[in-house]
Amino acid sequence: MDAPASFLKGVLGMIKTKKIGLHTFMAVPAFLLFALFFIYPLIQGIGMSLTDWDGLGRSNFIGLQNFFDFFKDERAITDIKNTLLFALGSAPLLNIIGLIYALLMNGKFKGKGIARVIIYLPAVISPLIMGYIWYLLLQPERGFVFHALELIGKSSWLGNWLGDYTACMVVLVLVNVWQYAGMTMVIYLAGLQSIPEELYESAKIDGASYWSSFRYVTLPMLMPSIRINVVTNIIGSLAVFDIVMALTDGGPGYSTETLSIYIMRMCYGSKTGYSTAVALIMFFIILIPVIISMRLTREKE
Amino acid sequence: MKTILKVSKYFLIVLICAICLIPFYILIILSLNTPQRIFYEGNMFVPDFFLRNYVDAWNKSHIGTAIINSAVITIVALVIILVFGAMAAYTIARFNYKFNQLVFWLFMSCMMIPGIINTVPLYTLMIKLNAINTLWGMGLVCATIAMPSAVFIFTGFVKSLPREIEEAAIIDGCSWFTAFWKITFPLLKPSVAAVIILNGFGIWNNYAQAVFFLQDSKKHNIPQALSVYFQQFAGAHWNLMAATAVIAVIPVIIAFLMFQKNLMKGLTDGALKG
Repeated sequence: MDAPASFLKGVLGMIKTKKIGLHTFMAVPAFLLFALFFIYPLIQGIGMSLTDWDGLGRSNFIGLQNFFDFFKDERAITDIKNTLLFALGSAPLLNIIGLIYALLMNGKFKGKGIARVIIYLPAVISPLIMGYIWYLLLQPERGFVFHALELIGKSSWLGNWLGDYTACMVVLVLVNVWQYAGMTMVIYLAGLQSIPEELYESAKIDGASYWSSFRYVTLPMLMPSIRINVVTNIIGSLAVFDIVMALTDGGPGYSTETLSIYIMRMCYGSKTGYSTAVALIMFFIILIPVIISMRLTREKE
Repeated sequence: MKTILKVSKYFLIVLICAICLIPFYILIILSLNTPQRIFYEGNMFVPDFFLRNYVDAWNKSHIGTAIINSAVITIVALVIILVFGAMAAYTIARFNYKFNQLVFWLFMSCMMIPGIINTVPLYTLMIKLNAINTLWGMGLVCATIAMPSAVFIFTGFVKSLPREIEEAAIIDGCSWFTAFWKITFPLLKPSVAAVIILNGFGIWNNYAQAVFFLQDSKKHNIPQALSVYFQQFAGAHWNLMAATAVIAVIPVIIAFLMFQKNLMKGLTDGALKG
């Protein structure tokens, strides 16, 4: 019974007599915090997903019923579709635009520092506030973007976008890309700056054009940054929450709701067991593209 | 030809910057206009300087309390991340123990898991710990979510520092533990800036977890307070919304301008060498 206590005593004694240095245990505080607030709930969630718990009363074991229910719920299927569509639009766009920004900003020119700060700026603002700001700008009839489009006679481009599913999704993706392109850019810039200048010089001597030196020097050397950006953008896009809450609130109806909003609403709706099941499904939806993209970027490195 | 290329490149950069700044500009003008005025009517460059908006926004929303709450949460979380994260990164980077390898592997695999996945079971844990609607509870949750990426950045950075700097101190009678605090920790400064920029703003702006853990209006952080306030006023009082948003955004912009110089250095020195 006293085994852990005597083990601890032994360890403490060894620290005191300096047989083991304190440095051996320096990862322990971070580990304990993480174990308590991340690993433990994660494992507990697996158990909860097999019950009909409502968050208060007693829970009954119902096997995989929650998972069957999920795939029978039309709203849930729509949410999967929305989450995937959003990620399919937003993750590639973020990477391409972020890379273009980085290539533009990499050279030497006046005002480079200020330009970088300006482009990164939107990324430090709360996506919820950003969503509200764009909500004001994009308001039909009164918003600035509507007005600007009216000036060039194209106000039908925006129309009453809030009532139109496709327009809503496009707006969500574009606002997200607008906000986070700077973050992707900074990672690419860091990658570009770690490429030794000699590689470009020898490519030049070999008569390589801009494109071929980009293809054979820049891209392969940029693989670590590409991996970081692709993976973080996939995760971030699939877990999207704030921007959707601010811009469409999942509407009209539930048509633009995403999985993370669904989880929150199910939990608030006292379907605690069910919402943990949804979270597990979402976990696999994120895991699969992440593993695939890690594999792809590792092979090419 | 070369000048045309150069000019068009400049033009493109200016255009991109403008696209990034225009929403902020419109926000500020909106916040300074009278409620009757429609933004694009008349002169778009001269607002009414109707400062009542700010007074009203400050009084009607709980933005003042929310800023303090967000600041407390962010400071609690950042101190934990910086101290525990750097400590863990140091021993992981310097000593190849089984436990260290396990911890690092755990952090790296969990970096792929967004916080929302375990928020619901975490919610029940937080109730048991009496940590719902507390700033320290929210700070701990935010610190946990940010810990893997902080350990990743710090470990890469410590690995880029030569081991000899600590070994010299150890010859002088330091232990590895004290050598960390005296020698290595102060050298981490650039990566500290990167960790603060990459995680601190996320914590300050956290909404997905705040929805669960900060439901009491006295404990709302900035996004929670704003979403509640905006849902009450949405559509009706644009200038008040804009003024509240400006108040909420100012501290973030000041902090960002303070730290941005160190960001690039921190990233290039550490983040990509894991």
